[in-house]
Amino acid sequence: MKTMVNHPGILLSVFFLLMLAVAMPAAAQAQPADHSRQVKALATNASGALLVLRNGGLFALEGQAVTEVPLPPAASGAEPRSLARGADNRIYLAGPGLGVWRYDSASEHWQSLNDTLTEAGITAIAAHATQPNTLYAYHEKDGMFRSRDAGVEWVKVDSGPREPVQAFLHSDMPGSMESGWLFAGTTRGVARSMDCFCFWGDAGELRGAVSAIAYDPEAPENVYAVIEGQLHHSPDGGETWAGVDVAGVVTALTFSPTQGLVLGTGNGDLLARDASGQWASVHE
Amino acid sequence: MVICSPVTLLANGHLFMNKWVASLVLFAAPVAGMTSGGSATSESVPAKLAEGRQVYEQSCASCHGWQGEGAANWQKPDEAGERPPPPHDETGHIWRHSDAMLFRMIAEGWRHPFNKTDRLTMPAFRDTLTDQEIQAVIEYLKTFWDEDQRRYQLEESQNATEPEGSS
Repeated sequence: MKTMVNHPGILLSVFFLLMLAVAMPAAAQAQPADHSRQVKALATNASGALLVLRNGGLFALEGQAVTEVPLPPAASGAEPRSLARGADNRIYLAGPGLGVWRYDSASEHWQSLNDTLTEAGITAIAAHATQPNTLYAYHEKDGMFRSRDAGVEWVKVDSGPREPVQAFLHSDMPGSMESGWLFAGTTRGVARSMDCFCFWGDAGELRGAVSAIAYDPEAPENVYAVIEGQLHHSPDGGETWAGVDVAGVVTALTFSPTQGLVLGTGNGDLLARDASGQWASVHE
Repeated sequence: MVICSPVTLLANGHLFMNKWVASLVLFAAPVAGMTSGGSATSESVPAKLAEGRQVYEQSCASCHGWQGEGAANWQKPDEAGERPPPPHDETGHIWRHSDAMLFRMIAEGWRHPFNKTDRLTMPAFRDTLTDQEIQAVIEYLKTFWDEDQRRYQLEESQNATEPEGSS
């Protein structure tokens, strides 16, 4: 009787082992170890490659090819957190303990831009949409800094929104008194100011801690923000917002020239809309 | 043309006095009469500043306040969905704009893109003010700001005339 009971169990175990052996290589290919870690930030480089900042490092993804980009040397405890692409396609990386760094694609080295910046408290970087030498950095205690000479000199220009900024961007959306707009994801929602830093006001009534923010360079009124893993879209420069259904916890956003809005998720997936408008893995 | 007397300016309060002195520095005008505590005559008042004050009081003060204090609750849209006139003093933001930008806004007007009406938020004055009058009122606006703000605005004005990255 005992033999009779165990026999189907053994067969089932063998079956599952066989299935596992068949499935493992495919799973490993679709989801390599580095691709299973949470996506912290996204950007695209000059060639259109997707730059993916994960807990495990920075990776350039072009087609099916994945290349690791060594992170800049930094003190222990440094936390790379924010990626931005300048108007001249140069890539910037920032985070607490790291400050702001620019990647030189020719020499494949990072250059520190922290001579006049206190790197310890920098939590986010944004690049001007059309002026290559204008950069913005947010310091968690001191507020907004701007450089007009590609990071050589940083000047504090504003205290920033009332609540701490977790992510922000510069947009060339029309209507500004100056050259564009700043959208900041704060712990309260999305704040918006013209890039004269004239006044930080609420961008609509979306409330919650914003962890990522992006806009569509081809249609700048379209702004996207992530609150607690949920993607939200504004079609009117932040005046109104609506939730966007995505399977998974969204953790990072960027706009790709070829794939449109790309999402990074908590389990490491990278998603973009396919031809039918459904979210699909960018690996497929 | 109304020439502002320093006595009138002093009557507007201590803050205005400080700004007045600073504005004289801006114009490199004679200041000995005021800083020495003597009674300055109208001849020591820069004509451009006096003209600017006259233009401001005639064309700007009714919306932006006689001391540049702006409308109450200017940070939020009003019932019509329009942004009320902001202050022009040190609590506002116009000190963040270059001379060129201020000139353009006064001459051409400006509509806040998120207003719920189509009309200009800031009316255009190109048909009612001459270029000289606009320049004069811009100089007068600077008397509302503190020293740091004037320095910031001067740099903005200088940067606005230089192509990006030339510094």
